[in-house]
Amino acid sequence: MINWGAFLLVALVSLVSAGALVTIYASGLRLLAVDGRPRAAVVGAYACFTVCALGVLFGIYLIVPALHAS
Amino acid sequence: MDLTLIVVLVILLAVFFDFTNGFHDTANAMATPIATGAMRPRVAVTVAALLNLVGAFLSTEVAKTISGGIIREGPGGVEITPTMIFAGLIGAVIWNMITWLRGLPSSSSHALFGGLIGAALVGAGTNSVDFGVVLSKVVLPALLAPLVAGLVGFLATRLAYRITRRPVGKNQRGGFRVGQIFTSSLVALAHGTNDAQKTMGVITLALIAGGFLGSGANPPFWVILVCALAIALGTYTGGWRIIQTMGGGLTDIKATQGFSAEASTAATVLASSHLGFALSTTQVSSGSIIGAGLGRRGSTIQWGTAGKIVIAWFITLPAAGLVGAACELIARIGVVGLVIDAVLGAGVIVGIFVASRRKPHEQSNALEVDVAMNSVLTRSERRSLLKKRGDELLAERRRMSDESSLFELGAEEEVR
Repeated sequence: MINWGAFLLVALVSLVSAGALVTIYASGLRLLAVDGRPRAAVVGAYACFTVCALGVLFGIYLIVPALHAS
Repeated sequence: MDLTLIVVLVILLAVFFDFTNGFHDTANAMATPIATGAMRPRVAVTVAALLNLVGAFLSTEVAKTISGGIIREGPGGVEITPTMIFAGLIGAVIWNMITWLRGLPSSSSHALFGGLIGAALVGAGTNSVDFGVVLSKVVLPALLAPLVAGLVGFLATRLAYRITRRPVGKNQRGGFRVGQIFTSSLVALAHGTNDAQKTMGVITLALIAGGFLGSGANPPFWVILVCALAIALGTYTGGWRIIQTMGGGLTDIKATQGFSAEASTAATVLASSHLGFALSTTQVSSGSIIGAGLGRRGSTIQWGTAGKIVIAWFITLPAAGLVGAACELIARIGVVGLVIDAVLGAGVIVGIFVASRRKPHEQSNALEVDVAMNSVLTRSERRSLLKKRGDELLAERRRMSDESSLFELGAEEEVR
């Protein structure tokens, strides 16, 4: 009656994607907070933010049906 | 004449339902950024309103059935009459207004389903409703949504705090405010594409039932436009009571938690709408906030408030159903019944609105003061006062959330 497979899939995917987004964004923030702000850390931080931005863009892609017309 | 009257009433009511849907659900996306000071309240609701407006135009793929299989509609089943839709909408709108008055986030779609179920039970008998589908599409998801979202929010918050912890020196977590703007906007956009569509579907089906459109027709442009405007206007009006509940009533939200909660909401809502297990945005959002509250050590959760919210979720369907059933009973008299329904419904709505003004909820006090202030001060005086108050409020929020401000992160972070 209830589609447990789909439910588990949803739970798992949300867990992984939210976890990944938060991990990457938080890593970026942590890298910015490294003492003395070495160049590598700043570059790494912005790389993290870029990945997050891509994640948000993927979210928009999923929201707008015209982009993934079936 | 008779049918035209019903269709006109349905359209008016559906647009109003769209409006209540907007202000009821602003909180899902914007409660946490407002609470942490990531966005000023006005800015936040404006952004949410614009995204809802855009979202409504993005997706016009109207659902084939209003109730998603809960009512056995279509060929071989019962026919949903415009009268039933009308009665169901009254139930949904009234329940939305009541929960708003109490500051409780509850699902607008469940209210709509409830109203329709009530109307269908009276109008077409007990056979018209598929209770198995009610259980699997409404009751169980209402249990599962907050559990999943809560777990995701809890783990995300834990991760965020663990990663940003510094062994020496002050933790710098103000940057989460910037991230919040993006995650919340995502939730607002998703809301716009989903919810405006429901109203479009209702209006289109009413038009088809009234013979103004051929069966299987797409919604005319004016329907899309009106629905988009109604939901955006509703969002802009801002359900401040619900925002207060979600942003501060459940738990004190700090920037890190706000970011994690909204990221979990966005992830869960998107996953659920694309992997075939529909969950209510409102319930997901509340669950994420509770999870985020559990995830930070030393934060407390107002379980009393959480309990009230959960009770409201489970009452939503039967309560809206009762109102819908009562309205359908009256409406069966004929045109007079419809008019009685419309007058009664309007009376209750106005009554609730008056009650919200006369006995301002302690939480919406600040807003009442704003309204009063507007009538005595000149424009420029008002503006400078508002700005000063806004700044003070923001400073206070920053102080309370004790997570260093954005501006300590350096100039380049602000540009981003």
